[in-house]
Amino acid sequence: MDLARILKVESVSRLQPTPPRMVQASQAVGDAVALMRQQEVGCVLVCQENTVVGIFTERDLLRRILALGKPLTLPIVHCMTPRPVAVHPKDSIGSAVRLMEEGGYRHLPVMDGGKPVGILSVKRIVHYLAEHFPSTVYNLPPDPSAVQHEREGA
Amino acid sequence: MICPTCGWDNLPGSEECGHCQQDLTPLDRPLPQDRVERSLMEDPVSALGPKPPVTIAADTTVAEAVQTMLARHIGALLVVDSCGGLLGIFSERDLLTKVAGLHEDLAGLTVGDFMTRAPDSVADDDTLAFALHKMDGGGYRHLPVLSNGQPSGVISVRDLLQHITRLCQE
Repeated sequence: MDLARILKVESVSRLQPTPPRMVQASQAVGDAVALMRQQEVGCVLVCQENTVVGIFTERDLLRRILALGKPLTLPIVHCMTPRPVAVHPKDSIGSAVRLMEEGGYRHLPVMDGGKPVGILSVKRIVHYLAEHFPSTVYNLPPDPSAVQHEREGA
Repeated sequence: MICPTCGWDNLPGSEECGHCQQDLTPLDRPLPQDRVERSLMEDPVSALGPKPPVTIAADTTVAEAVQTMLARHIGALLVVDSCGGLLGIFSERDLLTKVAGLHEDLAGLTVGDFMTRAPDSVADDDTLAFALHKMDGGGYRHLPVLSNGQPSGVISVRDLLQHITRLCQE
């Protein structure tokens, strides 16, 4: 099946989005930063009474905290991006890509019936594309300069 | 592997024909199946139109670097030495993992202490498949593009995605 068709018919859930990392709206920015650092992710969802009210990404950290010299003790609700654009697990991969390109987003929350079920990142999509062309992307020409300088076991 | 020249039946994976010494390696090379794959295999990184790099010196303060990233709407800066050679890359991820919450005064920190040293890079004539492989394998969002050893641009994961989806829509 060619890629254009795959992007139309395959759904976002096929990409197995990463499980969402969440913080409460009343928590401090520092808590979110610690969570992102510990989990090695680029964004967290901000929740209030079980609904998602915003998203906090590395860009928000740069733009709304570090650039303005604000302290990390601020409540996250004041420096998140409110009401993020989201996708449904049944949406096509192509529509998610289009949303990312139009909005310049790197992360989209995946929401099912008002509940967050995952985060879809641009890296995940690129990984999927790389997997789609295994013989092209993973079979790279040999590197002639890679020489073993010592005999094995010597 | 049947030799296309003399018809000799070689062991699978042979590099040359055991009968006529014909080079057999091209037989195993992947062939593009569609337009997107052909572009990945044949087009160079320069086809993405890499943006000119925004460079800073290693002794720039982190506060200045943050302002530059904001003003230029980018997520990564290339750190270069006085001759323009690439020393490292300083990105949003470096800020998240090494700076935020750990240091207070950003104007007192220099980028050289927090950048990612000797980053992976691609040459401007490498294929897009090669760049995609590096980005996916290393988990990078930005790759410096070098021409003649000097940084001449930066490509981002979004540039690649945009290129591929545009080919799909045509």
